[in-house]
Amino acid sequence: MARGTSNRKQRTTDQGSSSRFGSRRTFLQATAGAGALGLAGCLSNIGGGGGGSDTITYGVVSPMSGAYSSLAPGQRNGAKLAIETLKEDDEFDFEIEGVYADGQTEDTASVQAAERLVQEDGANFIMGCISSSVALAMNEFAAEEQVIYNPGAAAVPITGSGCNEYVFRAETNTAQIAEAVSEYTVNNLGTEVWFHIADYAYGTSVRNRVEARMRQANSDLNVVGSTASELGSSNFDTYISQIDNSDAEVVVVGMTGGDLINFTAQAVEAGLTEDKDIMAPTMTFQVVRGALGSAAYGLYGGVRYVSTLDNPLNNTFREAYMNMDETSGPPDNFARVGYQSIMMTAEGIKEAGSTNVDDVIDALAGLEMDSILGNNQFRACDHQALNPTWMGRCVEPSSGEVADVELLKKVEGPDAMIPCEETECSL
Amino acid sequence: MATADDTTATFGGGEPVLETKGLTRRFGELVAVDDLDIEVGQGEFRSIIGPNGAGKTTLFNLISGALLPSEGSVVFEGEDVSQLRPHQRVHRGIGRSFQITNVFGGLTVRENVRLAAQAAIRERSPFENAFRHKDSFGDLNDRTDDVLARIGLDGRGHEQASTLAYGDRRRLEIGLVLATDPQLVMLDEPTAGMSAEETRATMELIGDVLGDRTVLLIEHDIELVMNASDRITVLNRGEELATGPPAAVAENEQVQQAYLGGGVL
Amino acid sequence: MLELPLVTAGETLDQFINGLTVGMVYVLLAAGLSIIFGVMDVINFAHGELLALGAYFAVAITTAGIGNFWVALLVAPLAVAIIGGAMERLTIRPLYGRDPLYHILLTFGLVLIFVDAIELIWGTQPFRPLDTGVLSGTITILGFQKTLYSYFVIVMGAVVAAGAWLVLERTRFGLVVRAGSMDRDMVRHLGIDIDRYYTLVFAFGAFLAAVGGVVFAGRQSVGPGMGGSVIIPAFIVVVLGGLGSFRGAVAGGLLVGVVQSFVRWQVPFLEGLVVFLLMIGVLLIRPQGLFGSPEWHDPGEGGELLTAAGSGVLSTRRRRLLGGGMVAVLAIAPLGIGVLYNSYVVNTIVVDILIWGLFALSLDLVMGYTGLVSLGHVLFYGLGAYATVLFAVYLLPSIWLALVAGILVAALIAWVVGYLSIRVSGVYFSMITLAFAELFASLALKMPGLRAQINPTLDSLGLPTIPPLTNGDNGIGADAITYGLTGGPEFGDVSLLGEIHLYYYVILALVVGSYLVSRRLIDAPFGSVLQAIRESEQRASFLGYDTTMYKRRAFVVSGALAGLAGGLRATQNLGRASPGFLDWLLSGEVIVMTLLGGMGTLYGPMIGAAGYLSLEELLLSNGIDQWQGVLGIVFVLFVIFVPRGIVSIPSLVKQRMDSSSEAPPEGEPAEVSD
Repeated sequence: MARGTSNRKQRTTDQGSSSRFGSRRTFLQATAGAGALGLAGCLSNIGGGGGGSDTITYGVVSPMSGAYSSLAPGQRNGAKLAIETLKEDDEFDFEIEGVYADGQTEDTASVQAAERLVQEDGANFIMGCISSSVALAMNEFAAEEQVIYNPGAAAVPITGSGCNEYVFRAETNTAQIAEAVSEYTVNNLGTEVWFHIADYAYGTSVRNRVEARMRQANSDLNVVGSTASELGSSNFDTYISQIDNSDAEVVVVGMTGGDLINFTAQAVEAGLTEDKDIMAPTMTFQVVRGALGSAAYGLYGGVRYVSTLDNPLNNTFREAYMNMDETSGPPDNFARVGYQSIMMTAEGIKEAGSTNVDDVIDALAGLEMDSILGNNQFRACDHQALNPTWMGRCVEPSSGEVADVELLKKVEGPDAMIPCEETECSL
Repeated sequence: MATADDTTATFGGGEPVLETKGLTRRFGELVAVDDLDIEVGQGEFRSIIGPNGAGKTTLFNLISGALLPSEGSVVFEGEDVSQLRPHQRVHRGIGRSFQITNVFGGLTVRENVRLAAQAAIRERSPFENAFRHKDSFGDLNDRTDDVLARIGLDGRGHEQASTLAYGDRRRLEIGLVLATDPQLVMLDEPTAGMSAEETRATMELIGDVLGDRTVLLIEHDIELVMNASDRITVLNRGEELATGPPAAVAENEQVQQAYLGGGVL
Repeated sequence: MLELPLVTAGETLDQFINGLTVGMVYVLLAAGLSIIFGVMDVINFAHGELLALGAYFAVAITTAGIGNFWVALLVAPLAVAIIGGAMERLTIRPLYGRDPLYHILLTFGLVLIFVDAIELIWGTQPFRPLDTGVLSGTITILGFQKTLYSYFVIVMGAVVAAGAWLVLERTRFGLVVRAGSMDRDMVRHLGIDIDRYYTLVFAFGAFLAAVGGVVFAGRQSVGPGMGGSVIIPAFIVVVLGGLGSFRGAVAGGLLVGVVQSFVRWQVPFLEGLVVFLLMIGVLLIRPQGLFGSPEWHDPGEGGELLTAAGSGVLSTRRRRLLGGGMVAVLAIAPLGIGVLYNSYVVNTIVVDILIWGLFALSLDLVMGYTGLVSLGHVLFYGLGAYATVLFAVYLLPSIWLALVAGILVAALIAWVVGYLSIRVSGVYFSMITLAFAELFASLALKMPGLRAQINPTLDSLGLPTIPPLTNGDNGIGADAITYGLTGGPEFGDVSLLGEIHLYYYVILALVVGSYLVSRRLIDAPFGSVLQAIRESEQRASFLGYDTTMYKRRAFVVSGALAGLAGGLRATQNLGRASPGFLDWLLSGEVIVMTLLGGMGTLYGPMIGAAGYLSLEELLLSNGIDQWQGVLGIVFVLFVIFVPRGIVSIPSLVKQRMDSSSEAPPEGEPAEVSD
């Protein structure tokens, strides 16, 4: 679905109805006319929409402090590696610089950090953020400033109801993962299912999607029970007791980070896994496996990325990442997203032969390319990367204590993503 | 109730301004004020004396509303005010000073008095109250100047209250009571900690500025009490021991035994 | 969903034990907090970090192979006790005799320092739970299986609590502590140097918290957010039980644990709300908490509140000139865009400072003028943001009406919260406002779930259903916020010239206007009563002022202004409101700004906001990773050496210069004038 330039121009000049809140430069273009554009561009004195700079300045906003501070270093390092790689690589003949900021896991702080990068440091491309509320705010920001944005968050609405043409997401979204885990879980682990989620958008989205996909895959599905804990809870005894006293065969856990780690650690300790399986879409995250140690053995999870994938691009990435001064281990999913976002966007810049944001958008949407996850593209209808996903299991490693991930089943990129018509995004 | 001289007679023949009826206040096991029936007449200067812990300040707190009674009632000008909050009792005409000097230390002397005067004028519109500059009310300024003059602090209005000498601060305290224009003035040891000289000056001030009002005074200085009071009420362990004119109280044996220990009167 | 599941006695007992397990950790945390408050009046926000330190030390001890869980259980708390003692000596000691408010600023700074130090030493990756050795695994008692560790926590908590109780009951230390928490002056009159005991008390509290930390680490991962996640429940337990009461902390901790456990199980939609409702309910019925002494809070003993009022060296006229000059500079600031600085400085940073300045100004009206320390002020800011955005989403996109909606909603809720809260005083007021703020923050997050539960019922009754109000953590955004009533140019869009934007001037005018209105309010009879209340509420009421009513009115005005600040902030956040707008840490930040600038002056807090945000921006834009720690150190130094805030610096300098020739002046009258 190729969308012509004229399409967008119409959109940006149509003030009242479709312009997002506060698109400052848009207004200038709308009112000033062609002759005044030079003046406006001069006064605005920054790159972005239509700016003619040959240099790409990638602004990376990661939650270095706050709730997601444990995940952010990977994202920043992955992005940094991509930028350094592109600097060296002759195939990409544009100049690229990286600038970095702390988004504090908070939307106002992240937007402000991005504003600083765009206006002070001249960033015309933005990558980053992990939590969905921050990424949704950054979506708006990208549209306002007319910069390309690669979100590092997985919530569906980012390339769904909250999408816009400036947003290109290399992170695998919750729906793609649900596709990988749902069928396998209900057909192989059990039809008697208990859902436990953290009570926020991600948790609800996991419950809704996984349940729907499970039901499609196996009509015998029986949801034995469903519980929700407050986001950030640290004690899950109550729920574990309830689940333990039920006939559930498998527990689907819609939580991430500390919530998931603590729930799982306490559930395993309480003996829940003696007669039940636990499956969480993010169970195979490095940070989760690292914090669970041997408790993770035998647990199931969705896989967005494992560093051991064997293809030339990933092998190069893994090696280069482990050789970085800042890192001490193999890349995790967040490092992969940081790296892949910028590398995939760079393919679009190369294809466009221009650093102009509008040209890049046109070239990048729907462009087929090779990525560290294999053949890939930012799908034209919603700019979501068609990453493959896997069902995986945490297994005892040959050395050390942190579980390895065994890939059980792969869902190819195009199959993992929901059809364009169901995305609530109309680009 | 203990024997007392002439407790039922009202002062000056009129209706009592203040009455307590079976007033009782307990703190856990301790009965701080025990079944007190006191009447204070119009224009009377009544002193309350008694040893430490006799319940004098508790009685003040009950009358002024700082404490609510466990039992009994406080009647002011025929109205039962027992359940009213302190500011409501001030509106009825009860004003008090405190044992420990309690002025607004961070504010100027003038602002202290102005606040008290402002409290007495209550019929302003809410808009004026919230948005008109406080220094632009003529009546308020006049009244403030007047009170400052009467307590001898005119010309010192700009000083911060906390920097005043002790005696001056007590004068200011009396000024605050005066500025609210109460009908019943309750003074809790207004001369505590003062030199003999200051004490005399303060009593003169009280006589001067509050002479025409009904006064209820807690005081340790017996000589002073004897001179100034119309009648004296003696409390002991929360109970009324005696009430009467100074001379009668001084001669009361029970009082001498219980309070004065064979005494200094 | 709403029908009650079948309940058996076994399950009930099971959940009861779950509740006791959590409750015991609360007890350990709250007991120390309560004793520290009772004896020293210190509201220790850093208490959660002491717990985290205990957990981290335990991790360090066990992973370094120095010892096992049992060694860690003994050594880590002792180490934290030493740190706690040092903390008291070095930072808290200089503040005794001042209002507890200053401890908020101080311990807030300490939290930032601790968090950054922990991240610097141990990194941000969470550590796995401690290997508890023989305590791992499960045990079956009375037919149901539970982790052995749960029983251990209960026994361990009971033993430590009993030990602490014995220390308090049977030792001289305990005697002084108990007496001190009832009446410090009495203890001093008895000739006991209670101050000497403070270090010990603090170390004792830190020890208990660290035991809690080690116990925690045995069943959950150890990460940098640990301290922050326990401090609010700990405060609730302390307040619920009664400040300064050890018995209260024990009863409160177990009560909260058990109630939480049963609510999660039986009425899950109240999860996350119930503790706040419990606390609000208890405080409304028993303002001193379950076991607190009703005579405990003596308004006369609040300590010295150091307002900056009157500490200026400038005359009223010159100050007015300076203020006018400041506004003029702000008005022409955009002209320098592209020449002196770029648009980010003006259109983002200055605008941010203006909005936070307004928020701080609103707090100063209640905190600096009536002495009410609202820890829940973020509630009005957040409500203002949500109401402004929702008005634009569902009714009209007009910026003016949307902001008015934000102001009205904030004022309305401020009236309700004020009506319920102002009857309690001092720290209880701080805590009950915090509870209200957290209640709403929790509601904002839970709203989608609640809608899913309630809407079908509403629908079946033929009633209109609730539209999305918050979208939970995703936040909610308006497509357009416009200058016109129903459309027209967007708020962020109208450019006067290049990057010089109309919205900058609108915000500047609203903030300056709010300042002028507040100034007028303070200079009117109304404002002078507020100052009287701050000086001595008791005296004010005996002059005939209905102090409760005045405080409520001030609270409503303050809430309204905070609502305006929140609404304006939402417009700068791309027209979006999110749960981050209700984060209680913002309440802490705005208190810090107010104190930093100098409270009780109206303009001081605005200067404080400018100082705070400029410093933060300086650190962030220079890529300083430890920016939080640096901020923390600045706060600590400030509260110790410049307690009256930035606006007092000129007079401090003057005093320093004068003091060579004569004794320092006692301070000037606090007649407030701009």
